[in-house]
Amino acid sequence: MSHVHIDVENLSFSYESGTPVLREMNLHVSENESVGIIGANGAGKSTFLKLLVGLNLNFTGKVRIEEIPLEKKTLPKIREKIGYVFQDSDSQLFMTTVGEDVAFAPRNYGLPEEEVEKRVQEALEKVHIAHLRDKSIFKLSGGEKKLASLATILSMTPDMIFLDEPSVALDPRNRRNLIRVLNEFGHLKLIASHDLDFIWDTCSRVILISGGQLIADGTADEILRDQALLEENGLELPLSLTERK
Amino acid sequence: MNKIGQAISEIQSLETLSKEDRWVNRLHPLSKLFLTVFYIAVTVSFPKYDLSGLLVMALYPAAVFLVSELSFKDALRRLRVVLPLVAAVGILNPFFDREVVLTIGSVQVWGGVLSMLTLMIKAVLTVLSGYLLIATTPIEKICYALRIIHIPKVFVVVVLLIYRYVTVLLQEARRITQAYALRAPGQKGVHYKVWGSLLGQMLLRSMDRANDLYDSMLLRGFDGEFHTGAKEKLKPSDFLWPVLWGAIIILLRLFPVAELLGGLFL
Ligand SMILES: Nc1ncnc2c1ncn2[C@@H]1O[C@H](COP(=O)(O)OP(=O)(O)O)[C@@H](O)[C@H]1O
Ligand SMILES: [Mg+2]
Repeated sequence: MSHVHIDVENLSFSYESGTPVLREMNLHVSENESVGIIGANGAGKSTFLKLLVGLNLNFTGKVRIEEIPLEKKTLPKIREKIGYVFQDSDSQLFMTTVGEDVAFAPRNYGLPEEEVEKRVQEALEKVHIAHLRDKSIFKLSGGEKKLASLATILSMTPDMIFLDEPSVALDPRNRRNLIRVLNEFGHLKLIASHDLDFIWDTCSRVILISGGQLIADGTADEILRDQALLEENGLELPLSLTERK
Repeated sequence: MNKIGQAISEIQSLETLSKEDRWVNRLHPLSKLFLTVFYIAVTVSFPKYDLSGLLVMALYPAAVFLVSELSFKDALRRLRVVLPLVAAVGILNPFFDREVVLTIGSVQVWGGVLSMLTLMIKAVLTVLSGYLLIATTPIEKICYALRIIHIPKVFVVVVLLIYRYVTVLLQEARRITQAYALRAPGQKGVHYKVWGSLLGQMLLRSMDRANDLYDSMLLRGFDGEFHTGAKEKLKPSDFLWPVLWGAIIILLRLFPVAELLGGLFL
């Protein structure tokens, strides 16, 4: 078994309010897999991703990232392995220029400045925005912000990338561009989205969450073509699949 | 652009200023921080009737405006809300202190008037020097400097987050008032009946976002320490600048420079 993988066993979780948001989830994801997490609004997709990076540790069950159990004292180690892209890019970017923001993580790791420099350049090139390096964050378009957010986590050289609703608020051209960029990465990816067309274009495997439960787990082909299953859970067939019929 | 939009773009242009590559910006944040704190402490320490002594203290902000090439007009425009507020602190003094302390010709000046003026000038000078620090030093570098002098992590992180939160709050305010304006065309301002729910929305959303921002920092290895990346080795100019000004400030405080100068010309 390759070393990059995620194991989730019997994961259950509820916010302080008490109603369970995730129930008895089981999942294994291995290297190079690109997994779409789909489900209607409020299904628990974002909560699931946030739990996996340890933003809330009040869960029951077991989560292991590359064999390291997720708990308070392993958090720094685990977080170095995972790049997390927030749904709202404005919540991700907080330094003044793109370059500064991309340098934030490597500097926190205490890397020497030459190495930081190298990582920033590489990360920007991977998402094709090297020319935006000195641009002010406030002056970026929505699409540029999303790519910049991606760059800020690529500079961590993570083993895996989690994205929460990456296609929200992108116009068609930026959306296509993001799909192309994501498909260029060989990383393990978890992409939470209710945009099934986006998932169809970026993921080979899909899991369906409904009411906090893992309802289905299979290839994108199996799940995204299953009209009955999707409709039962408040989703619709991807447009690209309906038109082809 | 509405008022909120203006406020946001002013904060943003202030941040852009602070990142520019000018001589004052390149000074070590610690030396600027010390100098600013020292300047403020000395300014505040002037006796309440020493108007002429205090006026000369404007030398420091004036000089920094000059060497930093910052626009004084922009500064006044940005501070137009704050300055009247801080300047209002001494407004009641003339009513309480009516002892005549100075006679100019046949005009008798009450102590309260004098102390009101000194208080106002103290406040304005303090705000201006703070502005100059912020406009020439990115917030991360100020935080970095605070950490060097061992201000506790928690405190420094709170300073940073509050600074960030202001922008987030304003952005949410803009979003909400825009959404409101779209659905209430032709209406001036926001109807008082929905103030409560709009305000609640705004606070909740901005708190969510501020929370996300902090999470995003944590996920990228933030542990309360600030790494500015620049080679923040102290250069000779980092010592010279505050020492030079420190000396001038002490002189201005100890000797009645205004009167001495006046004596030269009279
Ligand atoms: N911070 C929170 N506190 C309490 N409940 C929350 C919080 N965040 C989300 N929830 C609730 O958890 C459920 C799942 O939300 P979420 O994970 O955001 O769903 P999704 O991302 O699939 O739309 C929803 O019912 C939502 O109201
Ligand atoms: Mg979500």
